[in-house]
Amino acid sequence: MTLRKTLSSAVRGFGISLLVVVAGFPVYWLFTTATHTTAELFGGQVQWLPDLRRFLTSFTSATSGVPMLRWLSNSAVVAFGTTFLSLIIAILAAYALSRYRFRGKGVFGFALFATQMLPEALLVVPLYSIFLTFGLLDNLTGLVLSDTAFAMPVAVWILKSAMDGVSLEIEESARVDGCPRYAMLTQIMLPLIAPSIAAAAVITFFEGWNEYLFANTFITDEQKWPASKGLASFIGEFVTPLNHVMAAALMFTLPAIVFFLFVQRRIVSGLTAGSVKG
Amino acid sequence: MPRIRFNGITKTYGDHEVIKTFSADVPDNEFLVLLGPSGCGKSTMLRMIAGLTDITAGELEFDGTVVNGTEPKERDIAFVFQSYALYPHLTVRANIAFPLLMSRFKPYHHLPVVNTLMRRRVLRDPDVDAQVRRVAAMMELTDYLDRRPRTLSGGQRQRVAVGRALIREPSMYLLDEPLSNLDAILRSQMRAEISDLHHRVGKSFVYVTHDQVEAMTMGTRIIVLNEGVIQQYGTPKEIYDSPANTFVARFIGSPPMNLIRCRLDGRSLRFPDGVTLKLPEGCASPSAPDRDVLLGVRAEKISVAPSDAVASDTMPAHIIVSEYLGAETVVAFKLGRRADQTEQDTVAKHDLQQARIPGELHLTPGADFTVRLDLTNVSFFDVDSGERLPVAVPEATR
Repeated sequence: MTLRKTLSSAVRGFGISLLVVVAGFPVYWLFTTATHTTAELFGGQVQWLPDLRRFLTSFTSATSGVPMLRWLSNSAVVAFGTTFLSLIIAILAAYALSRYRFRGKGVFGFALFATQMLPEALLVVPLYSIFLTFGLLDNLTGLVLSDTAFAMPVAVWILKSAMDGVSLEIEESARVDGCPRYAMLTQIMLPLIAPSIAAAAVITFFEGWNEYLFANTFITDEQKWPASKGLASFIGEFVTPLNHVMAAALMFTLPAIVFFLFVQRRIVSGLTAGSVKG
Repeated sequence: MPRIRFNGITKTYGDHEVIKTFSADVPDNEFLVLLGPSGCGKSTMLRMIAGLTDITAGELEFDGTVVNGTEPKERDIAFVFQSYALYPHLTVRANIAFPLLMSRFKPYHHLPVVNTLMRRRVLRDPDVDAQVRRVAAMMELTDYLDRRPRTLSGGQRQRVAVGRALIREPSMYLLDEPLSNLDAILRSQMRAEISDLHHRVGKSFVYVTHDQVEAMTMGTRIIVLNEGVIQQYGTPKEIYDSPANTFVARFIGSPPMNLIRCRLDGRSLRFPDGVTLKLPEGCASPSAPDRDVLLGVRAEKISVAPSDAVASDTMPAHIIVSEYLGAETVVAFKLGRRADQTEQDTVAKHDLQQARIPGELHLTPGADFTVRLDLTNVSFFDVDSGERLPVAVPEATR
């Protein structure tokens, strides 16, 4: 019996290690490539263990001459803007879809799905002409709007199904206890679906942070590029300094990972709320 | 503590009529129980009183004022849900204090973040704290004030739900099967606590249940509902002693009232197996004699005797099942001798009668014996409609 237990835990350990290796490999590759020079990379003199002392030089040479911090802050504006706007619209829409009966509810729900069926590339041209009319080209607000249009429907469906899971009786009870209709969301619903809000926040944040197609088309001013577009600019017509690309990519990845870790704690604490004393 | 008046209330969902023209007048401070089987419309009725469900037609009055269309919070009521509907994200303290919080919150206090800060501030208010502690002490929840509902047992959650209803001191308490999720021991304990609460707070209670024991023990007035139709409205004693129809007769009482078909001939009852019993002096009987009736006899009004003890007022019977319950034994029997039945006779439910006899009497299934019916206080029902037949005490014995 104990042998079987040891064996099964060994197999499980092996499986998990394999998954960690597969998931972690790109990150390792980023590190390793960033700590080499282009000559070493193409000359085949690759060290399997990244030389930590060479990080700083790699970073500084990668960011010299380009407004990397500016790009990252532009990305942050777009990502947080998308998250904020998407969540506000999605929470209200999800509540209406979950709790109210109105004409066209089914069509509305389907229309939200339909936005996910259209490829973004299809909408680039019409959006461009709309943005031109409203002066939203070369403008981060325009990018927030277009990213929200694609991120928000997903958030609506995540939040709607979370709200469907909240018993109607809790809201009725709040009504009897004197909670006004308009406060039902903030007093009852939002605290109860906090983990789902966190999940929706992660999805919408990454939609805004990673978005490249719209950024590439709508933003021409280098000072207004988000980092995704800036990163792509490293790829030159004749030379691509891979070590610089990877160093910049690391900088691009880190804030997103920090955001995820921050929100992830919220997801976990939301799921276990009330299960511990205090 | 309003007087509740139901004035021809109906409720329909689409074409489906859930409540059919419901009228009743309930005085102040009563413990009104809405009793009926699942799906009879009793919860809908309660939700209409609370203002959570719209009334299709008719008027609901509290102290003469029509309240149709007013918001639940304007009706000055407290509602205890079957699922308790506690706020899972709030501590027991905040759950109990929730109605107080809401009454103190200004519109902008409901904004996210602001609401959390305001909640903490109001909970620290000495006045609110004192009220929460008073209710918590009454409900024996003082040790659990900082816990969340998820960490509590069913009984504790139920007490939090009642505590939340108590703190506002409303004029009416509405309870929707609050004990149905509890185990038997806790249920009987909470039954007593809720009855005691009713005496202490002296307010109107409306209590929905499908459990006739809860209805009989707690209610001062009972409305029996079936398929959206009010069957009977009266005190527990009236409903137990004089059920309005065979539905109430069979629904109230455990075991239910025995219904025996017989022919009423003047002041004697003729049973299908030929036995004739005379109604005793002073016993009320339907004014229209010589007809088929359903005789309703409570199980405790039937006594048993050995099969050889034949007397003029006994009937032969044989035992089908004998259930020993300690203090008493419930005997299910069939009228007539066993020898007279053919083997193919199946025991249909409607001709199976039950008697409640002292526990020490031991009877073996299959045995013949005789039963004696106490006919001084029996009910008569119409064979077809099942309605109770009006009775009158004969002139000579009045």
